Amino acid sequence: MENTNSYFHHALKVDNDLCTGCTHCMKSCPTEAIRVRNGKAEIYGNKCIDCGECFKVCPVKAIFIKQDDFNELQNYKYRIALVPAVFIGQFPEEIRTSQIYSCLKKLGFTHIYEVEHGVGFMINIIEDYFKDNPDRKPYISSFCPAVVRLIQVRFPSLVKNIVHLKAPVDIASIIISERLTDAGIKKEEIGTFYITPCAAKIAAVKSPVEDSESAITGVINMDFLYNKVLHMLSNSDRIVEPINHSLSGRDVIWSLSGGEAQNFSGRCFAVDGLRNVIDFLEKIENEEIDSGGLIEMRVCDQSCAGGVLNPNNRFVAVERLQRRAAYLDSNPDGRSCSIPSFSKDFNTRIQQMMSIDEIKPRSILKLDDNLQVALKMVEGMKKVKSFLPGVDCGVCGAPTCSALAEDVVRKHAKSEDCVFVHKSSEEINEIISRIWDK
Amino acid sequence: MELKFEIEGGNFTGAGNASSEVKKTLKQLDVDNAKIKRIVVALFEAEINVVAHADSGIITVTIDDEKVEMLVDDKGPGIYDITKAMQEGYSTATRQVREMGFGAGMGLPNIKRNTDVMNISSVLGVGTNLKMIVYLNDTH
Repeated sequence: MENTNSYFHHALKVDNDLCTGCTHCMKSCPTEAIRVRNGKAEIYGNKCIDCGECFKVCPVKAIFIKQDDFNELQNYKYRIALVPAVFIGQFPEEIRTSQIYSCLKKLGFTHIYEVEHGVGFMINIIEDYFKDNPDRKPYISSFCPAVVRLIQVRFPSLVKNIVHLKAPVDIASIIISERLTDAGIKKEEIGTFYITPCAAKIAAVKSPVEDSESAITGVINMDFLYNKVLHMLSNSDRIVEPINHSLSGRDVIWSLSGGEAQNFSGRCFAVDGLRNVIDFLEKIENEEIDSGGLIEMRVCDQSCAGGVLNPNNRFVAVERLQRRAAYLDSNPDGRSCSIPSFSKDFNTRIQQMMSIDEIKPRSILKLDDNLQVALKMVEGMKKVKSFLPGVDCGVCGAPTCSALAEDVVRKHAKSEDCVFVHKSSEEINEIISRIWDK
Repeated sequence: MELKFEIEGGNFTGAGNASSEVKKTLKQLDVDNAKIKRIVVALFEAEINVVAHADSGIITVTIDDEKVEMLVDDKGPGIYDITKAMQEGYSTATRQVREMGFGAGMGLPNIKRNTDVMNISSVLGVGTNLKMIVYLNDTH
């Protein structure tokens, strides 16, 4: 099967003991990466973008997101929690950020570092990137790893438009690690662990777009830590260490919809939700979008607040973060400064570590390298499709009749997998007109 | 292989269906991205022309290993002066069409720019036939 031989690491897995082969996941997949075989869902590794749609719709919770073992923390002397702002948004308003951080420390982390610390730094570098790459317009943000993969597999012509810079979480990890090593700590003693709201971030950490090593040591699922923190809060002695807020409002809402786009001049767009992202990418590809600024794109509705691993309602989380942002902006004394001031030398070093050399196109649409062969396959697909019912019932184990036709010409399936082809054409017509009125 | 599409005059929301379907097929054929872009832009402009000016139209796209040939035959008013219509900025679009953001007079010049062969013939009161070719092989 294709998934054994994939370009990408995937965080989404199928638990075969639970899977009933019901096809819900297969139907929801935006890249048609799932087939049902032998009564179980199978994920085609090269097609999957780790968006998490299947995870959301599975009625028996057979799809899970594989995180790193929490005990892995103990392999490191310095254990850094990379906390995204949306984590705070999961808790009720009366629980203070400092309480949450105290709990994380009690759970075994030695340092808490907020992912959005790198935002101020990031904005400057993105602006420089715009100046240095005028030929790469329109600029598509690299923030959401599921968007990056979606572009690689379905919109390969737009790969060059992705801003070739790492995400804030990578930058945060690089900054804290560099700071600690500059202070004399050995690199192998430092472990950075990202608390993730989604599967795509895990996949991105495990196999970064360019085949280099990730800046992040491990990934812990947000729902897992949320539960742990919540238990501690209910039994806690409520003694908390003071924390040094160094985020600005702008940083806190970076991962919400519009959070990135609002920082740049030129025509910017903020697109969230998977279907919207696909529609917009089509438009960019057709050169219907005139944009000189940043196009922010996140596959989750309400961006990271809608991450599949977030326990809280996305709108409630957004509201809490917006309040936190307003609070930080109205009480600037509580924080040191929004852009961490490093030495020029340190800045240059981080800047070099932030760029991505190459993002490879990984088209899943391509049928064959040889045009003549591919043409024959397209003809073949048309022919197969002509005798399929066109109702996309999914009984054959493929999400649509078109997908089955493609599987047939790729020799991954047989047209006889369609239950309709076994019947005479009169019988099929009778069934179809009775049920679908076609 | 051949793809056929019917276009309805005045229906701007349906414009783009043919070009997006052709785009999908060209991606399956792994045609060079820059060429896909040219083909899609030209075909989209042609679709818009039919929607903006004609009553109805039929698009026939033939793809072989050398070229993509697109025929757009419409039933409509025809073009009074093709030479003028080929000039950038010249437009006979109605105010209504312009208010929708179309009819800037860039359609035919844009098609010309993005295709290797462009032939246009028109009979007033009957319709317009447009033929566009983009070669897939660079030796042309």
